[in-house]
Order: sequence, then structure tokens, then C-alpha cells
Amino acid sequence: MILQFQNIHKSFGEKTVLKDVSFLAESGKAFGLLGRNGAGKTTSIRILMNVFPADSGQVLLDGKPIDYKKIGIGYLPEERGLYPKKKIMDQLVYFAELKGMSRKAAVASVDHWLDRLGMSEYRGKRLDTLSKGNQQKIQLVTALAHDPDIVILDEPFSGLDPVNAMLLKDVVKEQIAKGKIVLFSSHQMSYIEEFCDSIAIIHEGRVALSGDLHDIKRRYLRDRLVIRTIDPQPIRAAFGDACTATDGGALLLRMGDPQEKRTVMKRLVEQYDIDEIKVFEPSLNDIFVEYAGKQDEEEKRA
Amino acid sequence: MRQFGKILKFELNGYLKNKVFVGVTLFLVLAIAMVMFLPNIRGLLHSEKEASGSAAARPVMLLYARDGAVASDVQTAFAAAFADYDVQTAQGTEEDVKTFVKTGAAECAFALDGLLSYTYYVNDLGQYDFNCDTAETVLQELSRASAMVQAGLSPAQTGEILSARVTGRTETLGKDRGVTFLYTYIMIFALYMVIMLYGQMVATNVATEKSSRAMEVLITSAKPVSMMFGKVLASCLAGLGQLVAVFGTALVLYRVNKAAWGENPVISYLFDIPTGLFVYLLVFFVLGFLLYAFLYGAIGSTASKLEDINTSVMPVTFLFIAAFIVVAFSVMGASSVDSTLMKVCSFLPFSSPMAMFARICMSEVPAHEIALSIGLLAAAVVFIGVLAAKIYRVGVLLYGTTPKIGEVVKAAWKA
Repeated sequence: MILQFQNIHKSFGEKTVLKDVSFLAESGKAFGLLGRNGAGKTTSIRILMNVFPADSGQVLLDGKPIDYKKIGIGYLPEERGLYPKKKIMDQLVYFAELKGMSRKAAVASVDHWLDRLGMSEYRGKRLDTLSKGNQQKIQLVTALAHDPDIVILDEPFSGLDPVNAMLLKDVVKEQIAKGKIVLFSSHQMSYIEEFCDSIAIIHEGRVALSGDLHDIKRRYLRDRLVIRTIDPQPIRAAFGDACTATDGGALLLRMGDPQEKRTVMKRLVEQYDIDEIKVFEPSLNDIFVEYAGKQDEEEKRA
Repeated sequence: MRQFGKILKFELNGYLKNKVFVGVTLFLVLAIAMVMFLPNIRGLLHSEKEASGSAAARPVMLLYARDGAVASDVQTAFAAAFADYDVQTAQGTEEDVKTFVKTGAAECAFALDGLLSYTYYVNDLGQYDFNCDTAETVLQELSRASAMVQAGLSPAQTGEILSARVTGRTETLGKDRGVTFLYTYIMIFALYMVIMLYGQMVATNVATEKSSRAMEVLITSAKPVSMMFGKVLASCLAGLGQLVAVFGTALVLYRVNKAAWGENPVISYLFDIPTGLFVYLLVFFVLGFLLYAFLYGAIGSTASKLEDINTSVMPVTFLFIAAFIVVAFSVMGASSVDSTLMKVCSFLPFSSPMAMFARICMSEVPAHEIALSIGLLAAAVVFIGVLAAKIYRVGVLLYGTTPKIGEVVKAAWKA
């Protein structure tokens, strides 16, 4: 399946929230929707979920408008969206039934997911008696219990300890492997980088950058080397201003021309005590800051 | 439709599992059960009193004649007229009589100047103290009798003249307002109570879902119309269920206990409500409740915080109270039940459940007017219901400051 946002426009009153937003997400792959607070991510997600329509443009699945009666969507909202005072089993079965499951199937599926996430002992408890991380796991069950075709995860890792984060990663990988369209929205770039094959950065309602993450990184000029060494001093002395120290303790060496890569690498290995040397690729965090930050500066200048 | 059924069931379960709701219902059922057994309890107390049966149990009423001794026929006539009192003639001065009343040795006292003038002494005059009226009747009869005897009539003739009684009967050709007034009042107050309690509950319920963000998942899982109608109908059923439990208990216990109630006209009228009126009561009650509950639900969805609910619902509450006051006052002054104001109110959906029902109960309303009123009300319920669902859809996603009603309605209209 291919999910396609095609020239989506949306405004609320005088305020335009989305301007000509287009991107593509494929099944069996995870897609990262990035953007600063208020950029238009949640509005995009709500249009996808048919909470409200776009003013113009279309959301297509395999080239056709989505048939919401047939296509299931699972949504994990950024903030807890559950009844704090109700029993966990009651509300999870209710949400699954609302998504069209029979009561029997809903109970079986919720039981399976509670078991999978190690939450079975809490089925008869009220939600507000659980810790934040455990509430997040319950929220995940509402997103997955009805076996949706499209899974939308908004800040799924918030509040999870490393063990639970690992559990969630496994679940997400399973969903991707099952051929579902998984849409991530997060500010934790490391997770996006780990899961997502393609991304779209939305900035002030417009898509600032979109496409395959690997290709995006490749587009950057490969004119810098990352060097790890026990003794950085001689290298810094030899290369002067072209060589700077990074926050991680490594050295960043800017070459005059990317073509010089082999020559420079050979020289370094031969002349200095080098532990590791590789071509510098910007992290998603760098790219995000560059796109979301650069435009801010441009606006300030304007 | 299936989704609506699920929502209705879930919401209704929410009420039935709510300890406060169940507790209040049980309390009301117990309270009404006690009221229904009141005559038995009173009977029991009375019979105990009668068993211990001395005159000392009755309060003392003193009779004092300013111009000498109280005549024996006056004492006899007072004793007969005030069967609940132990009527005694006072000794000593008038000041002593006052002291007796003041200290509580006697409950009240009559100081007589002959048969045509008296002073009534009582410590605290009760709202329902009709002793003076009774005393005046007794004294008037005594005075007439003595005048007739003085004019030369025999005591037998005097007795015959004074005991002559007029007989008459009333035949109600229209409606007996003394009876139907009761139905109107009960309906108006029941509707008032249920709308105030459950309307607020619907608003709070929606606002809680919004503030707990359960809405984020709900709104993506179910249609707003199903959500709104499911919620409002659940609260309507819960309210009706509570009323059925309370009035049902009363009815069953009345049937069980009919003998003890005897010929209490108020109670027997209450439980012998004509079927036609009962059907109207149900129709106007349900439609009236739904209309206001939808409004409360829509307003609940626009509140940003739970604390804002009380101020947000104020316009709807005022609207309802205004309708309530107009109808309640018109019903009190029974002649104005057919006034122009009431006629207008009986077609306006926000007041028609109370106004039209009051008119049906207390006056003659042509069938086509009733049909028109119900039709308008039902159409308004559907219209407000759909509008409320639209407002809900827009309102629940608006966080931050509470939006202006005009803006929300405009946005909902577009949605």
C-alpha cells in the first residue's frame, strides 16, 4: 500500500495551518513526520484520520481516496487519551469495539496485547493507578488491538524506561514487518533515525524536506571526515583551522575537495595513531535543526 | 448504528457503576418507601397514644371570662369544637392566664368579654393556627342561639334553625384544575430537577473526556453524531430509570398500602393519572430533556478546563430557568394558563415541554396545537442534536482559551 498526501491545504479561520503539503509513505516501512511544535503535524494526522477534511488536496491510498469503513487506523496520541477512572479492560474493549470489532474478538485481542506488553495483571485496575510508562503501554493497546492497516504513533517513546522502550521497539518492528504503514511523529530524532526509511519535515505548514532518509543524507556534500584518535594534538597542528573538535571528542576535518578523500585518509592513517576514520554524514538531528532553524533565520532577516 | 449502541451501553454502564448515582437512587427509593408507609407509622403512634389515652396527652386550652365565671354552655361548646385540646376554665386573674400560656402550662387561652369579643393568647402563633376562626364560629352560634331564645323561640326551634345546612354539588364540565394542577407541578419540578442534574452531568462528562484527552482516541474511532446521541440518550435513560425506580416504588407501595392511605384525595389523584396525560407527560419530558441535554453536551465540548463548566453552562441554565419561571407562575395564577404568553411559550421548543403540558393538564387545547407543539419540539431536538454533534466535533479539539460561542457555531456549520 502507498499512502499519499497530495497538495493538502488547511486553514482554521484566518490561520493557514497546512500549505500544499505532499508526501508519500509505503507499507512495510516506517515514515517519520517531523516538525517543531505547532508546525502542522497533528493537523496532518487528523486529516489522515478523517477527524476533519482538508480544504483542498487529497489523501490517497494506492491512488484512491481512503475508504475509512475498510481501512483501519490505529492512533497513539502524544498525550494520554484514556479514561483515568475506568477499568483498563473495560475501556480497551470499548475502544476496540468502536473500531468495529465484535465483543468476543475485542476481548481476545486486548488480552493478547496486554499479555504481549506484560500488563495482564492490570486488566481489572483503574488507569490512574498505573505509572506513566505503563499508561503509555495501555495507550499502545488502543492503537493496535483492532489490527489496523495504518499505525500512527505520536511521541510513542515518551515516558518509557529503556526496557519498555526496547519492548516498544520490538512491537513497532513487528508491525513494520507485517507490512503495515507506520507513521512516526517524534522529537526524539534517534528513534526516527533508527526506524524510519523516509521522512518529511514540516515547517510552518509547508513540507521543508521529504524523501528517503538515506538519499537525503547522501545529498550532503561529503567533504568532511570524522577522526577518532588518542592524540588529536599533532593532527590539529598539521591541519590548522580545517580541523575542529566535536562535542563527542572526535575531530572533524574539512577537506578542500571531496575528491581528496582517499589521499587525506591515507595520509592520516600513515602519519598518525588513528582509531577510526569515516566520511561525515549529518545526523537527522543536524538536518532537522538546519531546516527548521535556517528558515527561522531567513524570516528574521526578511 | 452499531457504534451508537456500543456508546449508549458504555455510557449507561458508566452511570450504573457510578457509586454516587446508585447511592442517591437507593436513598431516594428508601425515602419514598418511608413516605409511603407514613400513614401506618402515624397510625401506630396514634394507637399507642390512644392506648395510653389520658386527656393529659392533649394540650391545654384555657377559657377565661373577664366579667365573671365562664358559662357552662360556652365551656361545653368549646370542648366540642376543640376536640384536640383539653379545654379548661381558668382560675385567677387575666395576668395568671397569660403566665400559664407563657410558661407552657397551657398552649393557648381565650379571654372572653361576653360572647361577642375576645382576646386570644398564644405563645408563638403558628402559620396554620385556625383556633380564632373556630372560636368565632362557636361564639357566633352561641350568641345567635341566646338572641333567638330571648326573642321567644323555644330551644328546640333555635336548634333546628341553627342546624339547617345547605347541600350542593359541583359538576366539572372541563378540567378540574385542583387535580391537574398537581400533575403539572410534578412534571415541571421533575423536569427541572432532571435537566439541572443530568444536563450538568452530560456537560461534565464531555468536558472530562476532553480534559483527559480520551477524546483524541474517541473522535478518531466514532462519529461525533453517534457520540453525542449515545451520551445524551444514556443520561436520559439513567434519569428516567431513576425516576421510574422512585415513582415505581411509590406506586407499588401505594397499591400494597392502599388501605392505610384511605381516601387521601391528593395521593389517589396522583396515582390515578389518566393514561392520555401520562403519555403526554412522557413525550414532553423525554423531548424536553433531550433538547437541553444536547445543549449542555455541546457546551461541555467547548470548555477547556473542567473548572470552566459551571460558567460555560450558565446561558443554557438561565434559558431553562426563565422558561421554568414563566410556566410556574402562569400555573400558579390558574387563570393565566391560557394567556398569550403561555400560548407562545407552548410552541417555543425551549419552553414548550413545560408550557404545553401545563396547558393540556389545566385547559382545553385543540389536538392540532398539541401536534404542532410536539412536532416543533421533535424537529428542534433533531436540529439541536445534529448541531451539538457538529459543535462537539469542532469544540473537543480546541484547547486553550474557551472559544466564543459564535465562532464555534460558525466553525461547526462549516464542518
